[in-house]
Amino acid sequence: MSTPLRVGIVGCGKIADGHVEEAAKLSNDARIVAVCDREALMAEQLSVRYGIPAVYTDMHKMLSEQRLDVVHITTPPSSHLALGTLSLEHGCHVFVEKPVAPTHADSRRLIAAAQQFGKKLTTGYTYLFDPPALRLESLLRNGDLGEVIHLESFYGYHLAGPFGAAVMSDPAHWVHALPGNLFQNNADHLLNKVVPFFAGETPKVVAVGKQVSGYGDCRDNVLSEVRLLLAGAGCTATCTFSSAIKPAGHFLRVYGSKNTVHVDFNARTVTLEGAIQLPSAAGRLVPAFQRSLEYAQEGLANVRRFARSEFHFFAGLNELMRRFYACIRDDSPPPIPYHEILMVSELIEKASAQLITEVAK
Amino acid sequence: MARILVTGANGFLGAKVVERLLLNGEQVRCLVRAGSDLTRLESVRQQHLDGRRGPDNAGESEIVVGSLSTIESAASLLDGVEVVVHLAAALRGTAADMFLNTVVTTDKLLQAVFARTPAPRVVLVSSFGVYGTADLPANSVVDETTPLEPHPERRDHYSYAKLRQETLAWEYQRLHGFPLVVLRPGVIYGPGGGGLSARIGLQLPGVFLNLGGKNLLPLSFVDNCADAVMLAATDARTDGQVLNVHDDELPTSREFFAAYQRIVGKKFALTVPFPLLQLGSYLCDRYHRASRGQLPAIFTPYKTLTTWKGTRFSNAKLKSLGWKQRIPTAQAMQLTFDALANRQATKSG
Repeated sequence: MSTPLRVGIVGCGKIADGHVEEAAKLSNDARIVAVCDREALMAEQLSVRYGIPAVYTDMHKMLSEQRLDVVHITTPPSSHLALGTLSLEHGCHVFVEKPVAPTHADSRRLIAAAQQFGKKLTTGYTYLFDPPALRLESLLRNGDLGEVIHLESFYGYHLAGPFGAAVMSDPAHWVHALPGNLFQNNADHLLNKVVPFFAGETPKVVAVGKQVSGYGDCRDNVLSEVRLLLAGAGCTATCTFSSAIKPAGHFLRVYGSKNTVHVDFNARTVTLEGAIQLPSAAGRLVPAFQRSLEYAQEGLANVRRFARSEFHFFAGLNELMRRFYACIRDDSPPPIPYHEILMVSELIEKASAQLITEVAK
Repeated sequence: MARILVTGANGFLGAKVVERLLLNGEQVRCLVRAGSDLTRLESVRQQHLDGRRGPDNAGESEIVVGSLSTIESAASLLDGVEVVVHLAAALRGTAADMFLNTVVTTDKLLQAVFARTPAPRVVLVSSFGVYGTADLPANSVVDETTPLEPHPERRDHYSYAKLRQETLAWEYQRLHGFPLVVLRPGVIYGPGGGGLSARIGLQLPGVFLNLGGKNLLPLSFVDNCADAVMLAATDARTDGQVLNVHDDELPTSREFFAAYQRIVGKKFALTVPFPLLQLGSYLCDRYHRASRGQLPAIFTPYKTLTTWKGTRFSNAKLKSLGWKQRIPTAQAMQLTFDALANRQATKSG
């Protein structure tokens, strides 16, 4: 067995906890050996809570002293390009949290730098590796859906949740500095599930949205409702980002020429909606029971996963990290193709440009 | 010009502290964060503006919307300030958020404080949670000489953040010599506060796990606690001191819960004896580890020993400085439970 990769984390806010905890489950693959944050106390708290030996406030110092193989960048997006490039220059592979960068141009620069230095890069598209997404992958591989005609991606958001409340109570929060503000900070999860179906060609995008009001400052720019229509050569997609619709769902529907599948990321269920086989009234009677049976089977499968301790909240992050470390070890392609990451950032930029009316600075 | 800055002024304790300071004729600057719900604070201020409750010499207050996220933003709040009552802290959120909004903010505030000449006095409201009681023998008395928590990583995120906040304040005090007094309140309760504290038990869907049993509750009725804060803010004899803040007549958890059931309403409750709780905590911790964190370790043997081992409490030091329990415990409980009953009636009606 090879020596575990030496991993450092820069940015010791709340998402860093998830990275540390998942890395601990992959201890044969990687060890978090150092943490870094400009704010010394934040670096200290992460190291104390998880027993990480080395603590830094200077990224240069961490990179020169620690001989790291991988750097996880969990800082706000405005620093991703600089920190990512610096890590690559020091010979490290980079796991950067989403969004990769505030602009499409900066995302391109960071990925180009990874290619130039011959290092791997990935980003926190964790839901692509959650159990339901992996199940969808196998349905697609088996041809159960036929040709994909249309997609529907839905991402609900709690404005009053812990992160939403922090953003909305603080006009200086870094989210407000993103060109597409709150929408941009979540749009990766909305779009990364649909871009693989557009075969490398960025679809046309039409966006409509709504901004909040009543704050009298930059918070009035916050996009709380967004609808996107994507049109590619082969298929189309509609994407909904909503903070008003309750419950705040999170799903992908894939409409195929044979079957339609509903992938629920909150309930972790994947249900296939096949054609009605029975004639007349019976055809209206039976499907509800077929669906109930499918949900019951999905529920039981989840119970079995839970009993085997395979039902963790951050299952997708864990699987993504496992595949990322494996691609470094095997020198194989990274788990998320770069053209998909770039298509997401391009779509976000195009949509945001159509949506943002600068109502306040 | 405000003489006293109160951070977290719109909190449960904060608004009451502002009220006590105003009644004492103080000029108070109330720091609140953007987007805060100011109902409590505005209600206190309104009562004084109307002159309904305040004496003729009642003080004045101003609300400042600001933050402690940088030294500069903290420094901008200190003009003319002679005393800082630092109450702002995170009560919920992720571990990192709690730390950021409790410890890092305190760091910025204190750096702004000791940069001034003369530096204002600082009253830091810490918590009982900083004590390391798990290793004490049963029936030990917790007072200001009780050792601090030696294993903060084994405690809850709140206790860890409050412990680091306090040790940071003392580190700065030793280096820069500004006047500092630290208050460590027990469980603050009163009308407008939360329901049953975690020391009493845990509400699960449909059932309340009654965990406190015969353990004494280190209760501090919010008005009595505010009196202690005012004493610390206005009496320089408290400089350099740590003071535990709780009331005199402490009920057991069982007595408190019985009174709650009588006045607020019956709860379907299961009483969990201490040995069973220890066993449950062991299993919970064991499962958390074995499943590699599939469910959080709400209970661990260490946390259980810390909270329910059976400790007693002393507020002798606070009393020696002149603090007296103004609202007796029986009356305080009645006021609290009446308010909770009203709240429930309003909700259901």
